[in-house]
Amino acid sequence: MSRVIDVPEVLDHRGFEELVESLATVAAEDVERILFNAKHVRWVSPYGLIGLLAAGRVARDRTGLAPRIEAPDNREVRSYWERMDFWQAAHQVFDLEPGSTRPHSSSDALLEITPIRSHHDVHAVVERVRERSASILENRLHYPKPSVIQFSVMLSEVCQNIIEHAEADGWVCAQTYNFRERLGREVLMLAVMDVGVGFQGSLASEHARRFGEEWSSATALEAALLFGESRFRDPGRGQGLQAIRRQVGRWDGMLAIRSGDAQIAIVPDWEEYPSLQRGLAEFPGAQILVVMPAREEGAAR
Amino acid sequence: MTATAPGADGPAVAVASLYQEFLVTRQTGRAVRDGIERLIAGRRGEALAVLDFRDVAVIDFSCADEVVAKLVLGTEVEPTVPGARFVLVRGVREHHLDPVEGALRRRGLAVAAERATGEPILLGEFAPESGTVWLELCRRGRVLATDLADGLGIDPDACGRILEDLLRRRLVRRCKETWESLMFTASCSTGSDRGEPDPEGPTSKGE
Repeated sequence: MSRVIDVPEVLDHRGFEELVESLATVAAEDVERILFNAKHVRWVSPYGLIGLLAAGRVARDRTGLAPRIEAPDNREVRSYWERMDFWQAAHQVFDLEPGSTRPHSSSDALLEITPIRSHHDVHAVVERVRERSASILENRLHYPKPSVIQFSVMLSEVCQNIIEHAEADGWVCAQTYNFRERLGREVLMLAVMDVGVGFQGSLASEHARRFGEEWSSATALEAALLFGESRFRDPGRGQGLQAIRRQVGRWDGMLAIRSGDAQIAIVPDWEEYPSLQRGLAEFPGAQILVVMPAREEGAAR
Repeated sequence: MTATAPGADGPAVAVASLYQEFLVTRQTGRAVRDGIERLIAGRRGEALAVLDFRDVAVIDFSCADEVVAKLVLGTEVEPTVPGARFVLVRGVREHHLDPVEGALRRRGLAVAAERATGEPILLGEFAPESGTVWLELCRRGRVLATDLADGLGIDPDACGRILEDLLRRRLVRRCKETWESLMFTASCSTGSDRGEPDPEGPTSKGE
């Protein structure tokens, strides 16, 4: 039996939740192949875009068959997917027609969708974004010069989270866009995802016993983000997420980490979003979102 | 990387120029640290590893933990163990501070360092009075404990205790009756110039 999952028209972090909920119903059914219908997508964020890849990977793992995907009708959205190298990455996930990967003109993205499989990929990503991030952070978001290096450090740490803890491959991408509705300013959005063991799975051997029945995705996320816990006993471990949290706070940005059935977030004043959610639809791995707003002209540095 | 033989009363000095712009990831950090440890492992007497950060554009927290914090951690052995190891970080710039200090503080460690401008700076976790004594020692280079206490206007016994603690943490060196800063030690060594990049050593990329 085949099953069609409609991809939300607005595929951002909220749309991704809808997608995950749709996918959760599939697990309970006897489904052979899944078709992701993205024809009606009219807007997609970097988080939504790699979220679609992650959902496709989970669908493949659950059914044993690579899912199919219908490309968006909207020409601008299609063009954006191509510029973000979505189809290159999708080849590893979806059952695509041969030749569906089309070459595209140069991209204005800070970082196209890039698979993270080893520390070499992390090196490549950090080196690749250096020049682009300098231009974007300084000229468009009005960040001070040191922020270019701080962004590289954050990018490195967030990607290493996949290598060190996920026990699976993942993806990263970053893009700026105008966040007119909510903020009236440009933002830089960085999204990193994997469909590995997740925070609960990663920290379980070291911390589950201490929490007893309280142990869950939510407590694992709190332990990692708020208290710097890691699956390693080494006290030097676990500082990456802490550093990201501090840096995002300095930039008045937003950080959200979803894992299992929970999401934890560091939420700035300009966003309305719950700081901790439990009981979400179960989804493997970790999904990390960082939003960095442009500084207002004349803002203190 | 280069290494020199010890002087009359000085340690062997190994200078590790980190010719990488991007010191990121734990794997890279481990490879860099392994190279430095190999360089000083075979030495019988004291050894000073000088890490030159002048070319490092980006260092992340994980790599700082592997290269700096774990290297420093390895030096804090019992004073009775012969062949003490010291670490000095050179060429430190503003953007190195957060990752390096963050990594050191997580482990309650400190390292002697020198900014790119040549100014001494103690990084990591330490008591304010230890920082004051350490800085004054850096200013003087090599000095008797009593002279250092006089200069600072503090009790000689207290000054002596602080110096002993700094020695235990391998942040200063004792040379018979006198105490010396690691910058002084490095500057006395003929091999303290930058070493050539070693493609097989810790300056190479990755593992």
